[in-house]
Amino acid sequence: MSLVTIRDASFSYETKQIFSRISFSVEKGEIFCLIGPNGCGKTTLLDCVLGFHHFHSGKFQLMGKDAAGFRPGRVARLIAYVPQIHERTFPYLVREIVTMGRSAHLGFFESPSRKDRTMAEEALERIGIRHLSSCPYTQLSGGELQLVMIARALVQETPVIIMDEPTAHLDFRYELVIMEVITELVKERGLSVIMATHFPNHAFYFQSKQIQTSIALFNNGRFLAAGEPESIMDENSLRELYGIHADIISLTDADGKTMKHIIPVSTIKDMDA
Amino acid sequence: MKRVSLYAAVCLAPIICIFLSLCMGRYPLGLSDVMNALGNVPLWTDNSSFGINHTIIWEIRLPRAILGAMVGACLAVSGVAFQGLFRNPLVSSGILGVSSGAGFGAALAILLFNTVAAAYPFALVFGMLAVVCSYLIGRLYRTTSAIMLVLGGVIVSSVFAALLSFVKYVADPYEQLPAIVFWLMGSLASARYSDILIAGIPMSIGVIGLLAIRWQINVLSMGDREAQALGIHTSLSKGIVIFCATLATAGAVCVSGVIGWIGLVIPHIGRMLIGNDNRILIPVSLSLGACFLILVDILSRIITGAEIPLGILTALVGGPFFVYLLKKTKGGDW
Repeated sequence: MSLVTIRDASFSYETKQIFSRISFSVEKGEIFCLIGPNGCGKTTLLDCVLGFHHFHSGKFQLMGKDAAGFRPGRVARLIAYVPQIHERTFPYLVREIVTMGRSAHLGFFESPSRKDRTMAEEALERIGIRHLSSCPYTQLSGGELQLVMIARALVQETPVIIMDEPTAHLDFRYELVIMEVITELVKERGLSVIMATHFPNHAFYFQSKQIQTSIALFNNGRFLAAGEPESIMDENSLRELYGIHADIISLTDADGKTMKHIIPVSTIKDMDA
Repeated sequence: MKRVSLYAAVCLAPIICIFLSLCMGRYPLGLSDVMNALGNVPLWTDNSSFGINHTIIWEIRLPRAILGAMVGACLAVSGVAFQGLFRNPLVSSGILGVSSGAGFGAALAILLFNTVAAAYPFALVFGMLAVVCSYLIGRLYRTTSAIMLVLGGVIVSSVFAALLSFVKYVADPYEQLPAIVFWLMGSLASARYSDILIAGIPMSIGVIGLLAIRWQINVLSMGDREAQALGIHTSLSKGIVIFCATLATAGAVCVSGVIGWIGLVIPHIGRMLIGNDNRILIPVSLSLGACFLILVDILSRIITGAEIPLGILTALVGGPFFVYLLKKTKGGDW
């Protein structure tokens, strides 16, 4: 049984069609990468899966059950969300932020218990930022904040985590830190991750770590292609997706494993030519 | 252990302040007088036989102190709730127009019936009505986004402010206008047990509701998208928070007049002292608000023979104190 199943799903704002007849499914322990240019509807698609919006047509199942009418609490016990941008307002402490991940498991008027707070500390430990536990989270760097958001998603104890461009705005080191954390979580806990990203190389990265990786090239409201990164990502598909010339090279790391890497070279001025 | 002593302080502080306010006032009463009077609970005996001390304590100072505590607590707690809900620390309990609505209601009652007694129900009804209007405006686009709600509050507040000006304009300048102006400046002088009982109902429901839902206010302050992804039914929870905060504020404003400042600044003092977690912040603000208003009310009674309206003193006392705290706590990590 797939954790997330979407068949022929469509969505439009008022009269503006955002996407139509999208289909994909996500299995346990799989990373599903959504790749596409700005404004192609990636975030809207994720919003529909998270229940912020509702698909206008098509089939949408979570854990094999029709999820169209799921209440927020029920969705939140199946899917956790790491936002693209988190707007910080009040200087909550890091551990208070992470504890909020337990909300879906609490009753309506219930507050987190000692057990929930312990889980938050454990998640911080797991992600490697326990030392930040008592910091006001408004003082964290962008990379640290992203780790806190992942820790919060982790204590939500969901089989699926949705990440919207988790490495946007991060430096090289934190990009790798986040990628490694995701890799470890998927491997040791069998989590599934649905991830929108602007970096197609991420798909190759996960694949090189022996994680079952799928990729969907999303443009103009439909999937140009979907499947294994190796078979889908080539010079032609990048040309069609982004309107660029790109080279794909192969790297060999210290362990002798090869990893493909895309190098964007130039834009194509006249796509029709 | 730390938490136990914190909650003990939260409970004890207002009681100490209430006791203090029994001892202080224009009519001098010593500690022994107060204890004597308190020892004779008027419910069980004929209270005419106890004399002036007993009357001052039981009929004047005690209801006044209790009402002050309740009003201060309500304004502070709904201020915290609204700040969390709107994700904006500059928001106060009047953000959705409850104060302007209540002000207009009271003024209208004074204009129509020539008596301040009619001001309570009118203030309550119009205060709630103003928030309902703001909420409906905020829902024009189906969602209740924070910015639309605030905008709704601004619109409704200005409409009621204009209506209030109109009532003042047509009111009799010798009898009604002063009554309206004094009501608007806020006072606990007319406090009676009947007020406590009647206004206490909406105030208690509101405060208890906010205490019960205070964890969700934390999560709601993450913004609608994240709150929903964390499992919160955002429109339902927001509705409950707004409903409770409005009940509390309207209940407070209808008996005490418009006392600004508390709903904005007490929450901040709480944030500086114990942080932003609403689980602790809401009880602490409740206690701080209660103490602050009792203390200000004591000041208003003892500084001059004629009482100074509370709306004036809260700002005059609170302002410098707030600046002092800002400096002392380095602003609580803002």
